[in-house]
Amino acid sequence: MTYEAKDVWVYLQYNEGVLTKDSLETLAAGRRVADKMKQKVVGILLGEGVEPLAEQAVQYGADEILYVDSPAFRAYFNLRYIDAIFAMVKERRPYAFLFAANELGKDLAARIAYRAVTGLATDNVQLEVEDYTNPALGSFKDLLVQIRPDFGTRLARIYTPRHRPQMATVRPGNFTPLQPDPKRKGKLREFEFEDHDYPARVKEVVELPPPELDLSGADVVISLGLGILKDGSGHPRNPREAYRLAEQLRDAIQGKYHMKAVIGASRALVYAEIKELEGLVSKANQVGQTGTTVSPKLYFALGISGALQHRVGMLRSGKVVAVNTDPNAPIFKIAHYPIVGDLYEEFPKLIEMVGRTGHAN
Amino acid sequence: MLIIALLKGVPARTTQVAQIGGVLNREVMDLVLNPHDSKAIEAADFLKRRIGGKIIALTMGPDMKLIPLMKPLYDAEVMGVDEEYVLSDKKMAGADTWATAYAVSLGAKKVLEMHTAPIDEMAETIRKSGYSDAVKAKAAALYQANLLPNRVYSELPSVRDSIVQRFLKGAITVEQAVGELAKVKETLSRFIIVSGIKTTDGETGSVGPQVAEGVSELIGKILPHATYVEDFDIDDAATKVVSERRIGQLLQKLEMMLPALLTISTEYEPRESPAALQPEVRYNNYRGKILQAKKWTAEDLAADVQKLGLAGSPTIVGTGIDVGKPPIQKSLNHSLVFLKLVPQIEFEGKKYGPFEKGQLVTDIPEGLSTRFKKDGSVGVFGYDMLGEELFG
Repeated sequence: MTYEAKDVWVYLQYNEGVLTKDSLETLAAGRRVADKMKQKVVGILLGEGVEPLAEQAVQYGADEILYVDSPAFRAYFNLRYIDAIFAMVKERRPYAFLFAANELGKDLAARIAYRAVTGLATDNVQLEVEDYTNPALGSFKDLLVQIRPDFGTRLARIYTPRHRPQMATVRPGNFTPLQPDPKRKGKLREFEFEDHDYPARVKEVVELPPPELDLSGADVVISLGLGILKDGSGHPRNPREAYRLAEQLRDAIQGKYHMKAVIGASRALVYAEIKELEGLVSKANQVGQTGTTVSPKLYFALGISGALQHRVGMLRSGKVVAVNTDPNAPIFKIAHYPIVGDLYEEFPKLIEMVGRTGHAN
Repeated sequence: MLIIALLKGVPARTTQVAQIGGVLNREVMDLVLNPHDSKAIEAADFLKRRIGGKIIALTMGPDMKLIPLMKPLYDAEVMGVDEEYVLSDKKMAGADTWATAYAVSLGAKKVLEMHTAPIDEMAETIRKSGYSDAVKAKAAALYQANLLPNRVYSELPSVRDSIVQRFLKGAITVEQAVGELAKVKETLSRFIIVSGIKTTDGETGSVGPQVAEGVSELIGKILPHATYVEDFDIDDAATKVVSERRIGQLLQKLEMMLPALLTISTEYEPRESPAALQPEVRYNNYRGKILQAKKWTAEDLAADVQKLGLAGSPTIVGTGIDVGKPPIQKSLNHSLVFLKLVPQIEFEGKKYGPFEKGQLVTDIPEGLSTRFKKDGSVGVFGYDMLGEELFG
């Protein structure tokens, strides 16, 4: 599928008639690479009554929408969706194809990539377009550079030089949705899909209550790490003390500045399953590669050393304040405001600072 | 039933990761079982307790490393895996998820054929030899090799009515025996593959669904798959599973006819299995465990070597990127900053500034800096300033 492959496709997810935030971010990612390649962004929509969604997608950056509109696509059912999308890929041969790196996007992308005999780079935090030369394979113009966390200590560049489409999933929280432009015009194209029987069916779909903690949508994230177990002189402290202080900081910020503030945690703290934090800190609080990617205006890393897996989950924060006793903690590499010191001494000062600072709105 | 558990050895420590051109070199690292795979084994254990059959572990990587790693998985007599196969070949090294899924799919197909072929052999022997010792000898040999379920032939005192035993007693005809064997073969074709949701090294979560696709293509039958399965059950006849999986804020119940593939979430807890089904479970079980893992090479799998390992991988790993550019840092109680707006100033014949409030003090002659400190224009970056920068 190397020849004539063109356009950047974006798979669009929606919920109750509105494109999801993940989809808008993926559209922004698609727009970015398509502009660099001087190609079109094609939104892929499957469902029933998708026209309003198609219009939204155009406003948010799509040039064209390729869609299937049928009652058979009312509920998400992976095998049918995969068949339809693969049929589109086979007929139109996109150059690149992006999905949001969430449960649904990954479910689809993996199997489609295998069937299409092409590569899939998952969880990309950035996408670039570059010419690429490989001594064994030759030179490639305008290749998609897929940038994702590596197992080691860095981000890896992944290329799919010889196969099309170049498929990638985009980690939520790493691209900012474009401003919707009501004047943008796009083409709507219906795709005919011949349905058939499957050895599986969706029996039931239950909507779960919204998560109590919206890490990814917060303006301020106050994250705690294993450092809260001890004070600066190495004496054990009750971590609940730190949690209460974090609550005070959160409430002070929310109360004074009307910013949405939440408490986060490092993977190490979540996995330590500390008794004193039972019911307070769970997987839902976890920021990082295996938790949630956040991009708040303000990020507090308190007692977090800042392993790569944590940093990739909060890299796009506006401002980072880090408190740690160890001046060499990796978190300080990316902190705008390093505070080397005892967490239990600095915490009250931070809370006091919020109370003192003017310009409340 | 055949329960295939896909397992992976991952680096034990992140500090000791050895890479060759962006590809992990598993031969020189300490490996541990991928932590997510324990849930796949729990799910496999549940299936074996509920339906009976055999748990076959399938893994890929250097056999010298993986065979010792998988040894503890045999666990106790009644739990854990029954047989282990390691796909190990230099040609498979450096595989991305596509090339991994290709090899693993071939492995799964081989497991299936390895268990259906003996059923055909039994039918063939019965047809050819009739009520003879040859049938018993064949059955005993295959049973010892762990290739016939108790339903076909058994030496257990509690099983006296296997197909071969009833046939040899003259209780059923050749046609009846062959017919029953065909049914067993059909049952075996309704296998199930379980894996963890992802591995802790690649973190892609792609291989599970890709193996479902790969096996579908190899056996010419669509294998449904479900990822992130938090709960599932299987019907008594072992024809279908109903899985519960979370997709964003939706909980989806997906019914899948077997064969199928499930990736098991960390949230999964096995259900109880009803005791009433025990006799049926015994029929489906095999003789026991084969405690020596077996290595399968590319040749054993009859693989297309162009699709294996680095050569068969559509993706290429390029050079790495260091994470996070150091921002302009203002260190609390340490950095020198301007405490107020300072207009442009001439000092020793040169112009400096203007300086904004909060700006770091850099590239200023010491004399000027001292002057600024004295008149209070410059000071250490403290909490007041921090508060203003964060919320001002």
